[in-house]
Amino acid sequence: MANVKFRSKKRKERASNIIVYSILILISAVWLIPFLILIIQSFSGGSGMASNTIFPRRWTFNNYVRLFTETKFLIWYGNTMLVSVVVTIVQTVIVLMTSYALSRLRFKMRKPLMNIMLILGMFPGFLSMTAVYFVLKEINLTQNLFGLILVYSASSAMQYYICKGFFDTIPKSLDEAARIDGASRHTVLVKIILPLAKPIIIYTILTAFIAPWGEYMFSSFIMLGDSDKYTVAVGMKSWIDNSVLASDYFTVFCAAAVVVSIPITALFIWLQRYYVEGITGGSVKG
Amino acid sequence: MADVSLKHIYKVYSNGTKAVNDFNMEIADKEFIVFVGPSGCGKSTTLRMIAGLEDISAGELKIGDIVVNDMEPKDRDIAMVFQNYALYPHMTVYENIAFGLRLRKLSKDEIHNKVIEAAEILGITDYLGKKPKEMSGGQRQRVALGRAIVREPKVMLLDEPLSNLDAKLRTQMRAEIAKLHKKLGTTFIYVTHDQVEAMTMGTRIVVMKDGYVQQIDTPKNLYNYPANKFVAGFIGTPQMSFFEGTLKKDGENVIIKLDCSDADIKVPYSMLYKAKSSILDGKAKVYIGFRAEDVSLAENGLRNNRVVIDAVVSHREELGNETLIYADLLGGHDETGNSRIIIKDNCGNEINAGDNIKVALDISKAHLFDKETEQSVLPRVPEYNYLDCQINDGKLKFFGTELEIPSAINCVNVNGEMLLPSNALTFNGKIKAEIVSCEEINGIYLLALAVNGNRLFALSHEKINGKTVNIGIDFKKLTVFAEGKKVISPIPEVNSFDCSFIKRKTLRKIEQNGKVINKKVIEFGFLTENVFFRASDDASQKIFSAFGLKKAFSSQLKMECGIFDTVVSEAGIPAKVESILDYGESKFLKCTVNNSTVYVKTDIEYAGDIFIAPDMEKIGIFEKEKEIKII
Repeated sequence: MANVKFRSKKRKERASNIIVYSILILISAVWLIPFLILIIQSFSGGSGMASNTIFPRRWTFNNYVRLFTETKFLIWYGNTMLVSVVVTIVQTVIVLMTSYALSRLRFKMRKPLMNIMLILGMFPGFLSMTAVYFVLKEINLTQNLFGLILVYSASSAMQYYICKGFFDTIPKSLDEAARIDGASRHTVLVKIILPLAKPIIIYTILTAFIAPWGEYMFSSFIMLGDSDKYTVAVGMKSWIDNSVLASDYFTVFCAAAVVVSIPITALFIWLQRYYVEGITGGSVKG
Repeated sequence: MADVSLKHIYKVYSNGTKAVNDFNMEIADKEFIVFVGPSGCGKSTTLRMIAGLEDISAGELKIGDIVVNDMEPKDRDIAMVFQNYALYPHMTVYENIAFGLRLRKLSKDEIHNKVIEAAEILGITDYLGKKPKEMSGGQRQRVALGRAIVREPKVMLLDEPLSNLDAKLRTQMRAEIAKLHKKLGTTFIYVTHDQVEAMTMGTRIVVMKDGYVQQIDTPKNLYNYPANKFVAGFIGTPQMSFFEGTLKKDGENVIIKLDCSDADIKVPYSMLYKAKSSILDGKAKVYIGFRAEDVSLAENGLRNNRVVIDAVVSHREELGNETLIYADLLGGHDETGNSRIIIKDNCGNEINAGDNIKVALDISKAHLFDKETEQSVLPRVPEYNYLDCQINDGKLKFFGTELEIPSAINCVNVNGEMLLPSNALTFNGKIKAEIVSCEEINGIYLLALAVNGNRLFALSHEKINGKTVNIGIDFKKLTVFAEGKKVISPIPEVNSFDCSFIKRKTLRKIEQNGKVINKKVIEFGFLTENVFFRASDDASQKIFSAFGLKKAFSSQLKMECGIFDTVVSEAGIPAKVESILDYGESKFLKCTVNNSTVYVKTDIEYAGDIFIAPDMEKIGIFEKEKEIKII
C-alpha cells in the first residue's frame, strides 16, 4: 500500500514538472528570440529590415566596420561610458552612505524622510523634465555631459531602500563592538559593514550603471541639437527616426546593440562571483 | 584600571518610559560587579550607558576621574563582550582580536605579540587563522573575550556573555571569566539574569527591578540580609517560601502567627530587636520568609531555635544528592492559598505526596517583610529607634534619662512615643551609653548602644572605640507622637523652590585692552520666585545635556537647597520671618515664601522681611514632573 502511494506521488511530481518546464521554456523563448535575431542580424549582409528569413543568406562583419568608421558611434559610446562610470561611482557612494545612516542612526524625522523619499521615487522622473531642463539652461549645463551626470546622480539617495533593508539584517552589535574597539562611524561603515554587504554593493553598482547606460529621455532632451554629445541611446534612436536611414542602418543598429550590451554583460560576469550570500554566518549566534 | 562612579543616572526614553531610575554607585578599582535582575529591569541599559552606546538622560558618569557622559565609546577606554559575541564575520580570529589595536595604530610587532598573548591566555592559539563561522559557541565567546582583553581597557563590560552557551560550557566559562578577572586586575561589570552567575562571580551584586536598584551588596549579604521581598525571592534556589502573618510583642517574647497555619510561634524579643515597633502590634501584616535549608523534617535536622508545624506533602523533586519536598502548611485561614513550603532534605526518605509530615523551621533565620512596602522590617541598618518617652516641663524623659528640650520646640506635657532616627544621635551629649557592638556595614558604622539597659541604634561615620560613649539627640530630626498626633515634628533637611531655567542678557564690565567697557553678555540661571540666580557653567551644561537646547527653557524644575546652605543675603528671594528656632547648637529662621515654609540657618536674629538666597554651589535641581535629579 505504502509503495503504491509513494510511486503515485513521484508520478504526480513528474507531471507537474513537465508542465512547469514547458511554460518556462516558452517564456524563455519569447524572451530570447529577439536577442538572437538581433545578434544574427548584426552579421547579416543584406539591408536587413526587408529580409524575410531569420538567418541571412550572406554572413558578414561589415556592419561592425561601418559602425566604427562611418558613424559617430564611438564618440557616443565614449560619452555614455564616461557618464555611466561617473554616475555609478557617485550613486553607489551616496546610496551606501544614505542607507547606513537610515539603518543605523536615529534622528528626528527619520521615518517621515524615508517615506517621502519612497513616495517621490514612485513618480516617473520625466515629470520634472521641463523644470530640470530650464534649471540646467540657467546654469549653462545643457548640451553638457556634466549636466547629464548631475541629473542622473541627483536623486541617488532615493535608491536607498533595498540597501537599507540589507544593512538592517547585519546585527547592530557588530557596529557597537567596532565602535568600542575604537572605530568611528565612518570606519564602521568601511571596515565592517561594507565587507559584509558585498552582494548589495554589487546590486547597487549594477543598477547604478545600467540606468544611465540605457537612459533615453533625459539625455535626448538635454543633448538636443549637439550630435557630438549624444549618448548611445539618443544616437541610435536618431538612426531609426528616419525611415530611409532606418532601412539602411538596420543591420548597423543591430551591431551597435550588440556592442552596447557587452559592458553590461562583462560587468555582471565580473561581479557575480562576489554575489554570494551567507558571508554573515558566524558573526553572532545564529 | 579605574573606579567607576555613577551618580543619579537616569535613562528616560522619548516616549516617557523610565528605564533606569536614580542609579547611584561607586565601583572601586578591580571590583567584579554583577548587575542582575529579570528582563527589562534596566541592567543592560545601565551597562550600555557606561559603554557609551546609550545616551545618559541625566546624572553623572565618571570613569577614573573623568566625566564621560558626552564621550564617544572609543574614547572611554572600555571593552565590551556581547551576548551574541558580535565577532566580525569576514575577519579571521587573529584579525578580530587585532582590529582594535590596528585602529589604535600600534606597530605590527606589538599587535602580534599582544594577540598571541591574549590567545594564549584564552587557549585559542590554534584557531587564530579560522573564521568565526568555523567555530563553536564557546570558542567564539573566547575570541570575543580575547578581543576585549587585548586592549587592556580600564573597565571590562560583559553583557550576558554566557547566556547563549549550554549549561556545561557555561559553568566552565564562568570559572574562566572569574580567573581572567583575577589575572587582569581590571574592573569588571557583568550583566546577567542568572542569579547563580551573579552569586558565584561578583564581589558585589546590584539587584535591579523595573529600573530601580533594589540592593547593592556582597553575595553573602544579599543572601543573608535581603533588603526587600523581591531580593529575597530572586536570590537563592530553591526560592524562599513566603507566608503572610502577624507579629505581636508579648512581654519579652514575640508571638508569630501565620495565616496558613494554626501554630503559635513564640520567639524571644532579642531575636527581633531590630524590627520596627510598628509591626509588632499583632495587626500589621508581614511576609515571613524561610529558605529551604532553614526548613527540615522534624525528625532529622534542625536542633536550634526550631518550631514545628504540620504540613501535607504536595510533591517531591529528586536532585540526586538531596531532595526538595514541596509541602503545604495545614490549618489556618489564608484565603490566598499561599501555604507552600519547600523543604531541603537528604535523599532516602520515604515521604510521598499526600503524607502528613512535621516541619521544623529555624525561626532565627526567618526574613520579615512589610506587606505594603515589601521592604525588610529587620533591616541591617535600622533607620529609626522607637521608644516611649515623656515630656514634662520642657524636658524629654526616656530610658530613665532626661534632656532639656531646646526653646525651638514648643510642647505640652505628654506621655508619648518617639521616633528617633539612628542618625539623629550625636556623640557629644550628656547621656551615658554603653557600646554593645560596633559593626561596619557598607562604609558606615552601626552602633548598638545600651542606655540603662535599653537598646538604641546610632550611626557613625567613624569607628568608635571604647566601652561607653556620651550621646545626645539632634532635636531637628526628632518626631514625638502622643495620642495619635504629632507633638514634635522634625524640620526638613532641604528647602525646595519651584524654578525654571532661563537665559538673559546683562551688561557686564569687562576689561579689554586695559580699558573697562560695558559689554552685553548672555547669562544662564534659575528663576525662582521671580528672582534670578546665575547658574555655574557646570550647572548650565548639565541642564542642556539633560534637556537639549529647546526643552531646557520650558521645563518645570524644582530647586533644593540644604537648610544649612540657604543664607540670608542682601538681595534674593523675599521672605517673611515667622519665628526663630533655637536648637542650642544652631539657630534657624522659620520663614514663609509665597505660602510655603523655608528654614534658614542664621546666627543673627532677624525679624520682619528679609531676603534669602540658596548657595548656588550646593543646590540640587530636579525635573519636577518625573522627579529626575539633574544636578
